[in-house]
Amino acid sequence: MKLARTFGAVVVGLAVLAIAKPAAAQFTLGGMSVEGEVEAGLRLLPDRPSGADRGKFEEYRDFTQGPFLQGLQLRIFRPDESYSASFAGAKWGQQDQEFALRAGRLGLWEFGFDWDQTPHLFSTSARMLATQTVPNIFTLPTPRPALSIYNGGRRLDDVSVRWDTGRLSFVLTPTPDLELRAEYTRIKKDGERPFGMAFSSPGGNFMEILEPVDQTVHDFRLKLSFVRENWQLQAGYTFSAFENAFSSVSADNPCLGLPAAITAAPPGCGADATGAQPSGLTSLPPSNQAHSINIAGGINLPYRTRVTGNFGYSLRLQDEPFLAHTVNAALAGSPLLVLPQRSLNGVVGTALVNANVTSRPIQPLTLTLKYRMFNLSDKSDEPIFAGHVVNDRTLVDEPRTSPRFGYTKHNLDLDGRWKFGQPLAVTVGGGWERWDRVDHREAPRSDEVFGKAAVDLTPWEWLAARLTYRPSFRRIAEYNTFAHHEHTVLEEETSAQLVQGQSTLLRKFDEADRDRQRIDLLLQFFPLDTLTASITGSWKFDDYLHSPLGLQEATNWSAGFDLGWTPVERVSFTAGYVHELIFQKQLSRSRTVVGADTLDFIDFNWLSNNIDTVDTFHLGAKIALIPGRLDWNVGMNYSTATGQILTRNPNGAPSSGTAAQNLTASAKRMPAFDDTLVRVDSALRYHLSKAWTLGMAYAFERFTKHDWRTDTLNPFLPGVTSSIWLGNDARDYTAHVVAVTLGYRFK
Amino acid sequence: MGLVVLALVFVGCFGPSKTAESPARAAATAAQAPAAPSAGEYVGAETCKGCHEEAFNRFSHTKMGRLFLKQPRNSVERLACETCHGPGKAHVDQGGGGPGKDPKLITFAKNDRTPLDQRNQVCLTCHTKGARVFWRGSPHEARDVACTNCHTVMADHSPKAQLAKASEIETCGTCHLERRAQQMRSSHMPLREGKMTCTSCHNPHGTVTPALLRENSLNDNCYACHTEKRGPFLWEHAPVLESCANCHDPHGSNHEKMLKVAKPRLCQQCHIETRHPTNPYGRDTASQKFVLGKACSSCHVNVHGSNHPSGFAFTR
Repeated sequence: MKLARTFGAVVVGLAVLAIAKPAAAQFTLGGMSVEGEVEAGLRLLPDRPSGADRGKFEEYRDFTQGPFLQGLQLRIFRPDESYSASFAGAKWGQQDQEFALRAGRLGLWEFGFDWDQTPHLFSTSARMLATQTVPNIFTLPTPRPALSIYNGGRRLDDVSVRWDTGRLSFVLTPTPDLELRAEYTRIKKDGERPFGMAFSSPGGNFMEILEPVDQTVHDFRLKLSFVRENWQLQAGYTFSAFENAFSSVSADNPCLGLPAAITAAPPGCGADATGAQPSGLTSLPPSNQAHSINIAGGINLPYRTRVTGNFGYSLRLQDEPFLAHTVNAALAGSPLLVLPQRSLNGVVGTALVNANVTSRPIQPLTLTLKYRMFNLSDKSDEPIFAGHVVNDRTLVDEPRTSPRFGYTKHNLDLDGRWKFGQPLAVTVGGGWERWDRVDHREAPRSDEVFGKAAVDLTPWEWLAARLTYRPSFRRIAEYNTFAHHEHTVLEEETSAQLVQGQSTLLRKFDEADRDRQRIDLLLQFFPLDTLTASITGSWKFDDYLHSPLGLQEATNWSAGFDLGWTPVERVSFTAGYVHELIFQKQLSRSRTVVGADTLDFIDFNWLSNNIDTVDTFHLGAKIALIPGRLDWNVGMNYSTATGQILTRNPNGAPSSGTAAQNLTASAKRMPAFDDTLVRVDSALRYHLSKAWTLGMAYAFERFTKHDWRTDTLNPFLPGVTSSIWLGNDARDYTAHVVAVTLGYRFK
Repeated sequence: MGLVVLALVFVGCFGPSKTAESPARAAATAAQAPAAPSAGEYVGAETCKGCHEEAFNRFSHTKMGRLFLKQPRNSVERLACETCHGPGKAHVDQGGGGPGKDPKLITFAKNDRTPLDQRNQVCLTCHTKGARVFWRGSPHEARDVACTNCHTVMADHSPKAQLAKASEIETCGTCHLERRAQQMRSSHMPLREGKMTCTSCHNPHGTVTPALLRENSLNDNCYACHTEKRGPFLWEHAPVLESCANCHDPHGSNHEKMLKVAKPRLCQQCHIETRHPTNPYGRDTASQKFVLGKACSSCHVNVHGSNHPSGFAFTR
């Protein structure tokens, strides 16, 4: 079917050629001029990833064999260019096809329509035993099979979601200084993606299923811009709606009625088999809407001063009916589970005020002042629930309310830049950022001040350098570990119960005192008109200096270069390399509960250094082998990444608990994981004539990875109690792609 | 503050302005008046074409070229080449030559003498609508980026926006080498597949949001496509509400879902409650349930927020 569609598209393309006649230039049709180009051909994959291995290869694209449309552009216009229409497209008939239509009166109005399909392939190697009678209900046989049977589940060829994006736009420019723009975008997301369903107490059994995706996004925007020489004003309105066809997904519990040791190699379902409920049900994202208005303007004032401002307000609404607390018939009738209201009545308002002043009172000096305030105010209801059910299994008599979070963020930024003639400019400045949060966040207020210094150096025409240094210091006013808990759980709790919550030693990284140092460097060389080179480097160090537990420090640095050389007009080369290192050090503590007591031993601390190293190369060349006749483009990309998680107990081996507790608190080895992507693209293009082009292309791609977390993942792992995965994995692949194309151009 | 700005705009509307003008703007303004004394300084596009035919022909195929040369809307656009380059008579009278020979001629090549402010002002004479209102004071403007660093007026090198390079990624990647490299990471948005571009999220001409994001906040930017995460939810995950970037690096990562750190360590940076969230999991058998596959998200599926009455732990 797909092949037929693609073939049809190519036929249409060739029909256009037939109409175009064998002329290299534009031609006239009914008083209108016509120009365009089309390129289509045949693609073969002599070495193609197998069905289960193509997940990563076709993650966001459709790379099937057969005829394909590389691209088509067609423009019809009046000879005086007053009216024109254009049509463009690529990959017709494929999952990732796209096309665009434009029509308009030059300088006065333009109508546009765009269509784009983007597949997102999550997996081609998943296995599942459950069946779907409808997309959001996953059923298992009764009695339930032994867990090892799940490894023989049917393979799911294609777990993916396709985004179909359509966009209509209309721009009217009745005068050069007035513009009206209307735009409607619809994104339809259709498919399924991996999703989990828990059935037991926290940390207990779960089964991976698929989330059914049938979602639609509507986005309608109106914008008016009016400009004069010295001032500009624009106003806009946006309506955005999200519709989800599914409010929930349910799945049968694989441990229902299953003896703990049913499998030959235990553990089977272990303790999760006792009292297992038949199924579970999870909510999916609720439909919602948002209305936004924006007014922005700018004005030029004396002394080369410009003031710009923006005010925006947005209202987010969500009022989908609540689901029931549980699908467990044994619990559903409890009076504790009577819903206090039908829905959330969710209303969130966000406001943005922004003002910038830039002034150049004297030639070498530029002063900039920026102020920004963003407020999020959640006016949704705070319903009180008398009880709740943990994973459709356990009824808990504990009144809770849903906390509403809000915050106001202020940013102030002031700097001055002095140009010492052409070769040197120095910028010095500073600023402040404040977060004011609701008092049921741990740190209701934080202040961060920063300084900045930048030097722009252009000592010679062949060198441009910029060095920036930005230190910042964030301090919190207070940290209340239990702020969230106390606001949410409405019954009085004992201190022992409270201690079972968050550690009082924890400082969450987004709410902690932090000193940050950041340096960025960019050097650009233009030693010859034909040679450009860039060197870049950046270093960022975060020190969470008052965090007994939590993130301790983070360092990111990168360095790289880029080179472009065109020794002669028909030959150009590019090359580049970037090395990145991302390091985070976090300190935590294994905290076991025995009865009502929490074990808070310092030797149960564990420290983890998380290190990611990434190296990326690219090389490219564009060469006219026979000027005007034969072109050769070749490019190579290579990216390799290694992740390490190095965990240890910084205070020696845990010894304060029982043997089992000590073992739980002991740092475990996490082997490194890595992935590598190599891409080589090479294309020869022979210009048969001014109009016709013959192309031959070859591409090679290889993806390899070593990740023990997914490499040997099966739906059921004999050593793991009561858990069933999809067993999917982004597998290694090697692909060789050969394509032959024929292009026709009439311009 | 917004009202103050609006008041200033109002004053600017009706008050006199002594804003410094670029030569091109001044010239253009003068040209709007038929009797302007400087009108004789202009030679017309056909004269330019006499020597610069190849450039003229390339320009004539661009959108701006078609507008200026065939459908000018006013006397400024009618000046065609001289709309941007300024009056050409002196240049012609001295027999042409490089930009150094006629310092009044506005030229845009990398090392030309025309000051950068003046070059940009030429573009801003017409291009102040829409996305460019916040150009002045924006990071790129403050760093002496010229419009012509990224755009090429005289020829179409890219399908849209007359970029200096064939694509946005190449254009932006000239300086943002690290960002260009990040798109090659295994977990990435579909930039290298051509389904997104840098301007899907950023407006390089200046915005009201840090990092030059298009929408009013970082989260609003993400919600433009990921509307399912907008809520409001019955149970909100507070750090999610404040910034998606607390957990994700949208430019690409070597961890699934573009996470900044591998799970479960990412979650364990903030969750030091008792029991299972606090254990130093590894490759051992007891850890596997919490580490393999989607790790924490195997059970905590609705980590972006839940609307389920029993969903406060985001498992429902």
